Amino acid sequence: MLTTPKLTQIQELIAGSSREELVWLSGYLAGVVAGQGQAAPGSHQALPAPVAETTPAAPTVNKITIAYGTETGNSKKLASDFAAKAKKKGINAKLIGLEQYRLGDLTKEEYFFTVISTQGDGEPPAAAKKFYDHIHQGSLKLDRLKYGVLALGDTSYPLFCKAGEDVDHQLNKAGGQRIVPLEKCDTDYDSQAGKWFDTVLQQLSSTAGAGAPAATAPAVTARPTGKKTYTGTVLANINLNDRGSSKKTHHLEIAAEGVDYLPGDALGLVPENPAATVEAILSLTGVDPSRKLTIRQEEATIGHLLRKRLNIVYLPERVVKKYAAIVQQDIPETRIGLLDLLKIYPVRDAAQFHEVISILEPTAPRLYSISSSPEAHSGEIHLTVTRDRFSVNGETKHGLCSDLLSQLSPDEPLDFYIHKNSQFRLPAADKDVIMIGPGTGIAPFRSFLAHRDSQGASGRNWLFFGDQHFTTDFLYQTDLQNWMQTGVLTRLNTAFSRDQEEKVYVQHKMRREAAELYRWLEGGAYVYVCGTKEPMSVDVEATLLEIIREEGKKTPTQAEAWLDELKEAGRYVKDVY
Amino acid sequence: MDQNKNLSSTERIKQKSDGLRGTLAEGLKNEVTGAIADDDTALVKFHGMYMQDDRDRREERAEKKLERLYSFMVRLRVPGGFLTPEQWIAIHRVAGENSTGTIKVTTRQTIQLHGILRSRIKPTLKAFSKVHLDSIAACGDVNRNVTAAAHPMESELHEQVHAYAARISALLLPKTRAFYEIWLDEEKLTNKKDEEDPLYQDRYLPRKFKIGLVIPPNNDIDVLTNDLALIAIIENGKLKGFNFAIGGGLGATHGNAETYPRLASVLCFVPADDEKLFKAIYEVVTIQRDYGNRSDRKLARLKYTVDKYGLDWYRAELEKRVGFPLEDARPFIFTDRVDHYGWKQNHKGLWYYTPYVECGRVVDDEKVAMKTALLEVAQTGKANIRFTGTQNLILSDIKAKDKAVIQKILEKYRIIEHTEAASAIRKNAIACVALPTCGLALAEAQRYLPTLLGRIEVLLDKYELGEEQIIIRMTGCPNGCGRPYAAEIGFVGTAAGHYNMHLCGDHEGTRLNRIYKENLDEGAILKELDLLFWLYKKERITGERFGDFALRQKWYKQ
Repeated sequence: MLTTPKLTQIQELIAGSSREELVWLSGYLAGVVAGQGQAAPGSHQALPAPVAETTPAAPTVNKITIAYGTETGNSKKLASDFAAKAKKKGINAKLIGLEQYRLGDLTKEEYFFTVISTQGDGEPPAAAKKFYDHIHQGSLKLDRLKYGVLALGDTSYPLFCKAGEDVDHQLNKAGGQRIVPLEKCDTDYDSQAGKWFDTVLQQLSSTAGAGAPAATAPAVTARPTGKKTYTGTVLANINLNDRGSSKKTHHLEIAAEGVDYLPGDALGLVPENPAATVEAILSLTGVDPSRKLTIRQEEATIGHLLRKRLNIVYLPERVVKKYAAIVQQDIPETRIGLLDLLKIYPVRDAAQFHEVISILEPTAPRLYSISSSPEAHSGEIHLTVTRDRFSVNGETKHGLCSDLLSQLSPDEPLDFYIHKNSQFRLPAADKDVIMIGPGTGIAPFRSFLAHRDSQGASGRNWLFFGDQHFTTDFLYQTDLQNWMQTGVLTRLNTAFSRDQEEKVYVQHKMRREAAELYRWLEGGAYVYVCGTKEPMSVDVEATLLEIIREEGKKTPTQAEAWLDELKEAGRYVKDVY
Repeated sequence: MDQNKNLSSTERIKQKSDGLRGTLAEGLKNEVTGAIADDDTALVKFHGMYMQDDRDRREERAEKKLERLYSFMVRLRVPGGFLTPEQWIAIHRVAGENSTGTIKVTTRQTIQLHGILRSRIKPTLKAFSKVHLDSIAACGDVNRNVTAAAHPMESELHEQVHAYAARISALLLPKTRAFYEIWLDEEKLTNKKDEEDPLYQDRYLPRKFKIGLVIPPNNDIDVLTNDLALIAIIENGKLKGFNFAIGGGLGATHGNAETYPRLASVLCFVPADDEKLFKAIYEVVTIQRDYGNRSDRKLARLKYTVDKYGLDWYRAELEKRVGFPLEDARPFIFTDRVDHYGWKQNHKGLWYYTPYVECGRVVDDEKVAMKTALLEVAQTGKANIRFTGTQNLILSDIKAKDKAVIQKILEKYRIIEHTEAASAIRKNAIACVALPTCGLALAEAQRYLPTLLGRIEVLLDKYELGEEQIIIRMTGCPNGCGRPYAAEIGFVGTAAGHYNMHLCGDHEGTRLNRIYKENLDEGAILKELDLLFWLYKKERITGERFGDFALRQKWYKQ
């Protein structure tokens, strides 16, 4: 595509640059390309002055920045859709991930839109952390900025869309003008997000040049309706580990018609609180469980709230603090269950307890990778759940949700919703796929394989699986054997750590297959990793780099760049926890 | 040899196996299954192993999406059933580390370990190799473990007769180095000619081949159930030679009238001249190699070859092949078929103790800590271990000065008490392994026989017959591993909880029993025996054995 002298110049420039400079350069070039608008790539035009250094003349809304902060790829996907829509309207939309965004550019931005998700306890995605911290510094002045925030979240979590709220608030505080209200989307965000884009685009065309703020204060968004919940029925619940195993991994089959999901998605569940704990709280406080209260715009009985909606098992410190204020006592800031709190620091009366209920947060949902395929297992959803065990003060406890799931019997109902995972998607049917999923990390890969099987996908599939013992812990062994036999699974390597003196893990098997693995990578294979973040995904990544280095005869820097390219191209994807 | 036009699939597997290698070495590396390739399951037998699975666990594991719980049974080659204490200690350790832990003494004077995962085969066989034990040809279409009269008190010539077991085993051992390469990681042969095998060639035998040596009058190893029975002829305190009897074998198939159990027929006498004796043994095998049925494995044992061509033909063919005239068999008599329990002394003054081992299962259970006791005995280094043909073992060759040490251990673990408490029928009983590991089993055997014997004891006691040495044997299928057809009362499994009951076999093992009634459950078995024992008590002639009485009463299906 490039003439040789030009290519040489670029290569020289690259060779003489540091990694940071290269990262900047790639963002810069993206900006340049965005600045060229619809111009055909490679057409000979004079290069515009660097965008980042430009002082724009009269404000015209034909140039906007869309920055996304993503963890699972949903924000990125929405931001890309948004950029495409904008471009159709003739607006130059610069699309960039917040992890690559040059923070210094923010003061020079005019139209800046952010799509950002919220993780766990109100945290921004790891990729957006630097940006998030940057806008929280007090000295920031963003007088020129006109902005809008689209927040993704999950209403099942206590701090719904917290990161988006924070970004919206901070940009406003720094002097930015909010031209569209903050939009907070739940897990089924498509239509809501689409409407928001339309509003933004409308705003941009009608207020061209004016930049008049559409709203001065964040609108109190009505309770989002974008969460589709389903009620399924348990068909089967099987402990996949054999007798003698130290593990319990439950395979759940749930019958549910018309559930919209794709391989890679997760299922969200809000676990019920233990009945005994709820009973104890009720008898301790003497409140009437049938009494109705309105919490978060929803009317429900106290019994229902305590059993199904609110977190009473371990209260976060911020809730304990509020509790202390209500009962007017000094309570050390610690994680503690509501029942214990009520025992040690009792409430005065029922009315005070109602007050306590109002400060409780919703029970956080648990997400489980779906291990079925909508095509192969029509009308069913399968989960692969490890019964968590942990120790509290020397006492063995089980995870609330995994405990509940592992004890479900056939015919019991189960409420759930689908949590999309847009980045963890199968590639085109003819692409090769390498899956690394030890333990319950195998769940989405069972879904992938079943899906590719039912689609008759021509791409090859290679799975690395591992666990403790071959005879007791080989999850879905017969399923995998069938896929080997029918050729769906081209290769299957297993690592059972405790079957021999030395520990053997998936990365060791990857190393042993290094040459072939690299051939697959060079041939365009997609790599997926699922399972525990540490140490598994870290070791796997280090091994991948090692293989790329050794088999590809690359320097460590080159290998990292190579892997980064895969990442960028969506060919190296992780779903780790 | 017209029946050999359509070779059975096993024949083809053997021939293309490259000296019994097949794909065994590659199969060990398979990360997806704990099994081995289908064809290799036939080959691994020649290395002394059967692939099995825990049948009790099939259903549950299928639900868990786990494959069958595959494991391997390893059977050792122990000619004549003799181990040093060091070897016993090694087996004890291996059994604890790699198998179910139970050491099963077989009906052919060796031991087998069950439940060895594929990944543990090599460590197991390497550990055995260190103490000069192997499992070569313990199973498969070759000469199996050679049995020999067990108890050294049988005769002053016991040692001389017994020594033939190891020599015959060596004579008929396959020449392939596959065992050493695959399991012991020894270097591969560079010159394949080094393992050329004039006896087995590339096709081995049509079926298994069993040889036993006995010293009359005690038929302790059931010699006539062998393909080749060698009956020692001792005259004036000298070993003159052996009568050869051929065509024994007990396997049969339910509903297949062409198959049947058969005792060996006496063929000729061969003098105890090494050259002649080994030549004759060798050529008995080559005739079966050349004339045995290779198209139908159910009809491939020597017994069918003998019946097809006739004894006279076989003798003529043998004479032709050995190149010297064969003599007629000499007279002999069997008067008993027993293990000598308790303390015994041989002619050299060495001591022997035979404990009762229930169904040959050496294990520590709620009844007795047999395994620990035997380990402790072995650790003294003062006793060898010998196996009998009735799944028992003999603590052997104990010097008079060491007897007290052994006695003390036996008392400590109450082995003597345990042995003396065992009834006569228990001491004479045999049960095969059957469920859950044997793929052929239709019904229980070793897990059930002890319970049934308890109920039979009650009946015998009722008629004051508790001291009668009645030989009772049980197998889970009709293939005959526990020699049920050579018992006075034989139980042959037909379906879960159901057995054919066989009667009329003699006590000495020279007459097979016959079906009395079919498909009996426990209630029916006990009801029948109650009646039979009542009649036996009432109408027997003094000293008349149960089997002989049954025949006189015509207690068989007409």
